[in-house]
Amino acid sequence: MESMIFDMAERLLRDHVTHRLREDAAAGQCPDALWTRIEEAGLHMALVPEEAGGFGVPAAEALGLARIAGAHGLPLPLAETLIANAVLARAGLTLPGGRLTIAEGAGLRLERRGVAIHASGQLTVVPFARWADRIVTIAALDGTDHVLSLPVKDLTLTPGQDLAGMPRDEVAVDRDLTEADAAALPRSMGGMRGLGALVRSLATAGAMETILQMSVEYANDRVQFGRPIGKFQAIQHSLATMAGETAASRTAAEMAADSYDTAAFALTVAAAKSRAGEAAETVGALAHQIHGAIGYTQEHALHHFTKRIWSWRDEFGTELEWSTELGRAALSSPQDTFWQFITDSTAQGAPA
Amino acid sequence: MTLTAFPPPPPGADHDDLRQEVRAFLAEELADFPPEKRAKSWNGHSRDFSRKLAQRGWVGMTFPKEYGGHARSALERYVVSEELLAAGAPVISHWIADRQSGPLILAKGTEEQKRAIVPRIAAGELSFCIGMSEPDSGSDLAATRTIATEVEGGYRVNGTKVWTTYAHVADYMILFCRTGKSEDRHGGMSQLLVDLKTTKDIQISPIIDMAGEHHFNQVIFDNTFLPADALLGEKGEGWSQVMSELAFERSGPERFLSSFALIEEMIRVLRQDATEAQQAEIGRLAAHLMVLRQMSRSVAGMLNEGKNPALQAAIVKDLGALFEQDIPRLARSLISRPAVPGGRDSYAAVLAYTELAVPSFSLRGGTREILRGIIARGLGLR
Ligand SMILES: Cc1cc2nc3c(=O)[nH]c(=O)nc-3n(C[C@H](O)[C@H](O)[C@H](O)COP(=O)(O)OP(=O)(O)OC[C@H]3O[C@@H](n4cnc5c(N)ncnc54)[C@H](O)[C@@H]3O)c2cc1C
Repeated sequence: MESMIFDMAERLLRDHVTHRLREDAAAGQCPDALWTRIEEAGLHMALVPEEAGGFGVPAAEALGLARIAGAHGLPLPLAETLIANAVLARAGLTLPGGRLTIAEGAGLRLERRGVAIHASGQLTVVPFARWADRIVTIAALDGTDHVLSLPVKDLTLTPGQDLAGMPRDEVAVDRDLTEADAAALPRSMGGMRGLGALVRSLATAGAMETILQMSVEYANDRVQFGRPIGKFQAIQHSLATMAGETAASRTAAEMAADSYDTAAFALTVAAAKSRAGEAAETVGALAHQIHGAIGYTQEHALHHFTKRIWSWRDEFGTELEWSTELGRAALSSPQDTFWQFITDSTAQGAPA
Repeated sequence: MTLTAFPPPPPGADHDDLRQEVRAFLAEELADFPPEKRAKSWNGHSRDFSRKLAQRGWVGMTFPKEYGGHARSALERYVVSEELLAAGAPVISHWIADRQSGPLILAKGTEEQKRAIVPRIAAGELSFCIGMSEPDSGSDLAATRTIATEVEGGYRVNGTKVWTTYAHVADYMILFCRTGKSEDRHGGMSQLLVDLKTTKDIQISPIIDMAGEHHFNQVIFDNTFLPADALLGEKGEGWSQVMSELAFERSGPERFLSSFALIEEMIRVLRQDATEAQQAEIGRLAAHLMVLRQMSRSVAGMLNEGKNPALQAAIVKDLGALFEQDIPRLARSLISRPAVPGGRDSYAAVLAYTELAVPSFSLRGGTREILRGIIARGLGLR
């Protein structure tokens, strides 16, 4: 996946997402200038099909941006904007530009009022809502998934934050939506919960790669008892365990990204979110153990990443919710054997 | 960080037609094969079964046609392998030869060796065993003592190999031993092809495992004469040859499907009415399995492209062993039904068998500790 878009994003984020920028963001300051650069590079449009104004990179590659953003601890809704634009494009709505975010629509009630659709209810833990121009969500009307594009300025926000200090706001919705802001999805994309879980799984894998790399470097540099602590087998084995968990999470997330918009997505994304959430526990704990006291400080960069992976576990379905869903599917599968369920779950089938 | 990147298997890796053919074949061949036997996984032995499989073209699949193979891809072979394992088919008779000895002979053997042996492997007629471990050389393979001294027309071999899986039925052993002195700990080693059916002065005696089964053995070489053409590959290159075998040995689906019979039994029991907590545990298991399978298929894809994914293989084997070893614990945490060796209830019997099998999973093929050392080195720990 070493494509142009990958190189561009990697360079941009490496140069601009500094420890300081993450600190300032956690203190409440939105890095507007960086967002402008991201938009100039067109990264926010990567998942939009060519005919809707995107540049036609394969979906799995575009979704790789979510992993890179995670690897840098980017305090901006890039992954959210990627998904929001893709969903808006699918519903045939205009792409409004600007910073977008996504929310699960389960708490919304839609009803027809004349030509308008009235939306009311609560959106909870909406990522970066107060820094976003619009919230894009999916909710059901007459049994059909509808995409809603809600201008943040017209909504009531109650600020909240996640473990890493990133905005996670409560949003009260009560308004009429015109045709420009609401449309039926021609075919389901698995709901915002699944799409959110996908980008959080990818981001978790990326952040864990950074955590692993920081831990390896620290183990090679930190000297105790006259040698680098990375010479001690106990430390080596912890790092090997972290590598296994990280590799598994990345494989899981990329498997889900590969099946984006296909029938296999429902189960692969469940596996990805469940696997990454579980790995976040082990990887975070071992990284802090290896770093000793310095890793437990505000000053050290490690906490920006461990806090993120621990927060992301809870968003768009916990690992418990996704595991239960996957297990229910396995146990109620019409297949004769569990094995058939497993091989079918990842089968490269036709689009959903 | 390339070590944590497992590229997706190439498009078309599912080979659904082939999978359905294999399933139909297994449904018929194993119709009366009970769960307790399936629980043996790839330790089950039947030369007859291996021959039938070979008649379908499913042994030596990746070997070139001129050596009796079928010139199919590593991913097609993967489909057949995982279907065999998932069904608990008795495959050990051809497994080692098909997985690593055949590919090694094809890569390093002389034309005569290839012609004499590879077509018979592909026919399911030959079993191989691996002669690496010794009483004083387990994880530390470089401590090998068995020595082959050059004599007129060949070698005299002296030494003892242990834990040699199915040496008592195998036709050949690929023997790892010293053939010379070297300053380098890894130098002076070679691999020799030992015809176990005709060579004199070899004593093979059973070692019974803690489950009461005889699959591994002690093999004593007592001034055993081997002809000069027994040398496999280059003299003195044994170490690097063995290392290149390991990606084949470590990455396959047998590194996480060894407890699969118990998984199917567990699901069968839970299917009727599972609580939400039980569903969650099965979901977690499914997630792990889907991911391990994807990683292992990724390694098959890399092997197919001629890469050497030894580090990725070590990761798959380490994670895979944790997974397959955890199944009895998981079963016990979800189902309150005691293990009964040989019991009439197939769940109880398979649980009992599997409980006694799992300790070996993180020993055979390289221990957990050794794998983690390899992974750590791959991470760049200095
Ligand atoms: C079922 C089964 C089948 C087998 N089949 C074969 C076969 O067909 N052919 C064959 O050649 N061999 C076979 N083996 C042997 C297998 O390869 C060895 O068991 C394995 O290499 C470990 O060697 P060992 O048992 O001597 O243990 P040891 O090497 O003595 O290890 C004992 C313990 O010490 C640990 N240890 C050793 N060195 C280190 C280190 N440097 N750092 C940290 N911990 C360390 C090990 O991880 C292990 O936990 C088989 C084994 C089993 C269980």
